[in-house]
Amino acid sequence: MQFGVFSVSDVTEDPTTGTTVSEGERIKAMVAIALKAEEVGLDVFATGEHHNPPFVASSPTTMLGFIAAQTKNLILSTSTTLITTNDPVKIAEDYAMLQHLAGGRVDLMMGRGNTGPVYPWFGQDIRNGIALAVENYALLRRLWREDVVDWEGKFRTPLQGFTSTPRPLDDVPPFVWHGSIRSPEIAEQAAYYGDGFFHNNIFWPASHTKQMIDLYRRRFEHYGHGAADQAIVGLGGQVFMRKNSQDAVREFRPYFDNAPVYGHGPSLEDFTRETPLTVGSPQEVIERTLTFREHFGDYQRQLFLIDHAGLPLKTVLEQLDILGEEVVPVLRKEFAALKPAHVPDAPTHASLKTAAERAQALETIEEPVR
Amino acid sequence: MSTPSERVIAVVTAGLTTPSSSRLLADQLAAAVHDELSTRGVASRTEVIEVRDHAHDLTNNLLTGFPSANLEKVLTTVTTADALIVVSPTFSASYSGLFKMFFDVLDDQALAGKPVLLGATGGTERHSLVLDYALRPLFAYLKAIPVPTGVYAASTDWGPNAATLRPRITQAAAELVATLHHDNPTKPDPFENPTPFENLLNS
Repeated sequence: MQFGVFSVSDVTEDPTTGTTVSEGERIKAMVAIALKAEEVGLDVFATGEHHNPPFVASSPTTMLGFIAAQTKNLILSTSTTLITTNDPVKIAEDYAMLQHLAGGRVDLMMGRGNTGPVYPWFGQDIRNGIALAVENYALLRRLWREDVVDWEGKFRTPLQGFTSTPRPLDDVPPFVWHGSIRSPEIAEQAAYYGDGFFHNNIFWPASHTKQMIDLYRRRFEHYGHGAADQAIVGLGGQVFMRKNSQDAVREFRPYFDNAPVYGHGPSLEDFTRETPLTVGSPQEVIERTLTFREHFGDYQRQLFLIDHAGLPLKTVLEQLDILGEEVVPVLRKEFAALKPAHVPDAPTHASLKTAAERAQALETIEEPVR
Repeated sequence: MSTPSERVIAVVTAGLTTPSSSRLLADQLAAAVHDELSTRGVASRTEVIEVRDHAHDLTNNLLTGFPSANLEKVLTTVTTADALIVVSPTFSASYSGLFKMFFDVLDDQALAGKPVLLGATGGTERHSLVLDYALRPLFAYLKAIPVPTGVYAASTDWGPNAATLRPRITQAAAELVATLHHDNPTKPDPFENPTPFENLLNS
């Protein structure tokens, strides 16, 4: 099981001090968070992609490339890559380049974005959101898997004899997750290709998340990629921890009450009851995270959101220390003990490369002797 | 649980006081619908929703994007009912903001094909067209089926004008019941029956 953190890259005033970091400081903070994630033994750092203030992460591969140069084991991912408004040709090129530079430590999560005007800013129509995700991703897959592509679709200028460079590292395209909160079409898409499905459940009740994940699992099996419980599932989580539960609640409450997404709405208590948000001791986070498995089955990737709503970098780095020292080691052990042998781990570049070589070897063996 | 032949009528009323004249009108409309169904030998059950009781949950739903477990139950009651009776007080020449919030958190297809009896209350008769200028377009947008007669009750309708209110209630109730011989169209569940990906790819 992989554990990591994902950032939405918001620049938000710290409600306890009234100070707001600069964009430059926030960008450096995200890098510091990623490096710390590796240092404390987490597996994944994922950055969001946004094209409007108060977010700074408009250029994920630049940031991830910079982090790749300073890390050795961390998997660099996205949360999410806008498959709707980015040119799939540019995604193919950018992430293949990143894959080479990072030695294969790259995967992506496709998403449609949550800011309406991004569509017109990039020449698209939000009403085509699903259709864009479907067509663009179908092209992206071909660009990574076929050396020369002839292609014509609805949303992009046609390609004739096009080769996307660089070719994926070892001819193994990056693993892809599809993220969606409420569109069954995207769960269906992930299942069809046998890709991963990530539900960013942090703002949603478990009943809702379960509906999406069950659909993905059922259709994964339907499309012949394995049994439903072998589908590749990722989940979000949102935590704030202190040694004593009451200290965590006291310190986090002003950030919660003023947070951009849910601030001035439900109480911290209501929200922790209805969503995966856990504010408390490391033990409480361990117990809560283990319930995800009970709700949604054995899963492969757990990403925590820990750096939003104006929390200072120092606090976020302390959260990473707690995650790395007290929470994740226990979760690794518990999840591993509970996971049946036939449930796979999340694919990595190494595992995909081995699988591809094995498939190739089988093909050679099965070729009739002439 | 409703028996197969039992009709469920959901009543959504957005008065602010307890009791409110909106609730008073809603109860009379619900009773008239119940009586009309009874005379036709149809059993029915009324589920009354006071929007005021869910005001905080509605605000939270708008801010967070999802309903609390309690509110979700209420929304399901409305979306699965055979017909709706809705009553709003008239505020600033329209339905109240609280009333609108209830319908804002529903999916825009959730009421498609649903018969609706429109009701409104106000201080004077001068606002009675709120039914046709505000409520009717709202439910037309939601693709619900508002019956032709709406019922507006002003303060005087609870006293000297009561006799003129009564026939309108009966008329509206009869119109709502007349739509109920149709079976509710069952909507396909996109989680039970997702669009196969080949269809998405080729559309």
